[in-house]
Amino acid sequence: MSQGGRARGGLWRRLRIGLRDRVIVLFGVLGLALFVALALTVWLLVSHFLVNQRMTTVVDEARVNAASVQSGLGQLGLSVPEVMDRLATNGTTFALLSTDGEWYASAPRQGPGSLPHALVHLARSGVPATQRVRVGDHLMAAVAIPLDRAGDAYFELFPLDDLNRALSILSLTLVGAAVAVSLIAMATGRVVTRLALRPLAALTDVAAAVARGDLSARMPGEKDPDLGGLARSFNHTADALERRVAADIRFAGDVSHELRTPLTTMLNSIELVQHRRDELPPAVREPVDLLTEDLRRFSRLVVDLIDISRYEAGVDADRDTLRIVDLVRAAADATAGRPVTVVDPAAKDLVVHADKRRLERVVANLVENAELHGGGCLRVCVDAGKASVLIGVEDAGPGVPPEQRERIFERFARTGPRRVGGVGLGLAIVASHVAWHGGRIWVEDREGGGSRFLVRLPAEEVTG
Amino acid sequence: MPEVPDGRHTWRVAPSVLLVEDDDRVRRALRLALEDEGFTVDEAADGEQGLRQLAARPDVVLLDVMLPDTDGFDVCRSIRRNSDVPVIMVTARTGSQDIVAGLEAGADDYVTKPLVAKELSARIRALLRRVASTGDNGHPPRTITVGELVIEPEEGLVSRAGEPVPLTRTEFRLLAELAAAEGRVRTREQLLDTVWGYGYFGDNRLVDVHIARLRAKVEPDPAHPTHVITARGMGYRLAL
Repeated sequence: MSQGGRARGGLWRRLRIGLRDRVIVLFGVLGLALFVALALTVWLLVSHFLVNQRMTTVVDEARVNAASVQSGLGQLGLSVPEVMDRLATNGTTFALLSTDGEWYASAPRQGPGSLPHALVHLARSGVPATQRVRVGDHLMAAVAIPLDRAGDAYFELFPLDDLNRALSILSLTLVGAAVAVSLIAMATGRVVTRLALRPLAALTDVAAAVARGDLSARMPGEKDPDLGGLARSFNHTADALERRVAADIRFAGDVSHELRTPLTTMLNSIELVQHRRDELPPAVREPVDLLTEDLRRFSRLVVDLIDISRYEAGVDADRDTLRIVDLVRAAADATAGRPVTVVDPAAKDLVVHADKRRLERVVANLVENAELHGGGCLRVCVDAGKASVLIGVEDAGPGVPPEQRERIFERFARTGPRRVGGVGLGLAIVASHVAWHGGRIWVEDREGGGSRFLVRLPAEEVTG
Repeated sequence: MPEVPDGRHTWRVAPSVLLVEDDDRVRRALRLALEDEGFTVDEAADGEQGLRQLAARPDVVLLDVMLPDTDGFDVCRSIRRNSDVPVIMVTARTGSQDIVAGLEAGADDYVTKPLVAKELSARIRALLRRVASTGDNGHPPRTITVGELVIEPEEGLVSRAGEPVPLTRTEFRLLAELAAAEGRVRTREQLLDTVWGYGYFGDNRLVDVHIARLRAKVEPDPAHPTHVITARGMGYRLAL
């Protein structure tokens, strides 16, 4: 059962027919099928009834005429032409008489050839019968009534054209209606799916919001009898996720917090030892150097972890209006220890509404990254963009391969043997700050080798 | 983190530091490192001890705000009541509330853990620096009068309607810097540089809280300042 189900599902998927289309098609097919069944029943019943009615009528009429012929020939002793004249026929029916082996017709056009042999044979043998025959272009009912004298029979042909036409009209109407019904059914299906899927669209938006990172988004309609289950489960999961993320952030913050004190002891002690490096026996100098280096790095990591947990929690955000050129120049030159900033005159008067500390951190981190891992910061450009400012930090290092250009901004990104991003959090912090300001950060290749880290921030021109 | 200048400072007279820190190992490590930097260090393991050792008149107090027996901010306030010795808060928390609370309690500056003696040295150096000996225009600073305020940079005195106003050294230096600007606006970055020695990467809250403290002491109506004016989006200036 499951195999078949999967295969069916696969077919739908392969044909790229969505849920909505499936329902519409289903409605259409169902409507059509239902109607066709109904129409067939109607058709059969009506045609059967109509045909029966007509045959009964024509047989009665033929019997009356046969009786008249019989009495005319028998009791009244009339001649055949007189008997034929007495027949109550209108222009549409034809009577044929077979008596004494001779054939007589009410109208000269019709001959016994119109009658089927089997019918004639039956009548001559004394069996009354009816048969539908085609005479020329017309459909007719042939009624055969045997007469008293053996071998004699009275035949009458009745037109069935009007019946035929009626039934044709009926069948055409039914076919037309079938088409209309299936179209209406499909339209109904479409309306129904739209109504049903509308709350689903709302749910999809909420799920997308959570996927984007807005963990506070919740689905409405928890009380809805049909969708409530989905909404409740989703919201429950989102709650748990939000709590978990907050707890993780708090934990990282708490752990780092606790590490601050022992780090103070360690750092100060090792710096003191470093200061007296010359007094150390040569054998211990290298271990001390290694210890110093890693302690400094560890300290930086702890501080970064504390920062990132605080920033993620959203505390301590101040927004000032700052001249971006001043900020970038001061931060970049101070970090590099030399003037590296190049400003496009168009960007001179741009201001940003930003958190000074965070932006300084962004610039300082990027320049430091260029210095330590990019073989030296070549320059820091500040250019004007459309309602934005573009800050570029260039280095002449090995560059960042295209497949890593997204991942280096993640925490603890480890890309190949060479660690990109300092102790692993530097670029993640930068990305977090840039995102907080509503900006964008990316990295591209620099013409002539190396990388260019670009940060775009919303900015505006202020004169005076 | 601010870029710490290279090279060790040699003091003519070793300044004395009172270190109030409850964690044993941190205290010992800091003491050794600070002595290596050329300071003489007195230790106190809690607030009470710290207050008692004020009697020895240290040149600067390093105060850990997370103390076992008392609220570090209370200790700071107690110190302030009796002396204008420069106080540097040592804090693990950099939340705005904690920083501002510490500064409002009377601290002159703050450092965050993990902290190294080199950075501390720079901060202490900045706080112990004498007031700039030349004003903005190159002449020695003269007595400046602003309303009923009389500022004498050379003496390090401020008096209001004849009565001396007790300012901490940092508050005084802040006022003197504004006075030396002769009515022009000084940006927060400039003040952070000249008063606290931070270069560019200073914390604006230092300036803002100290301005508030200054106003509380020298303004007739601190809520509506007439002497120390905020230049919106730029900085502060003294209304001459």
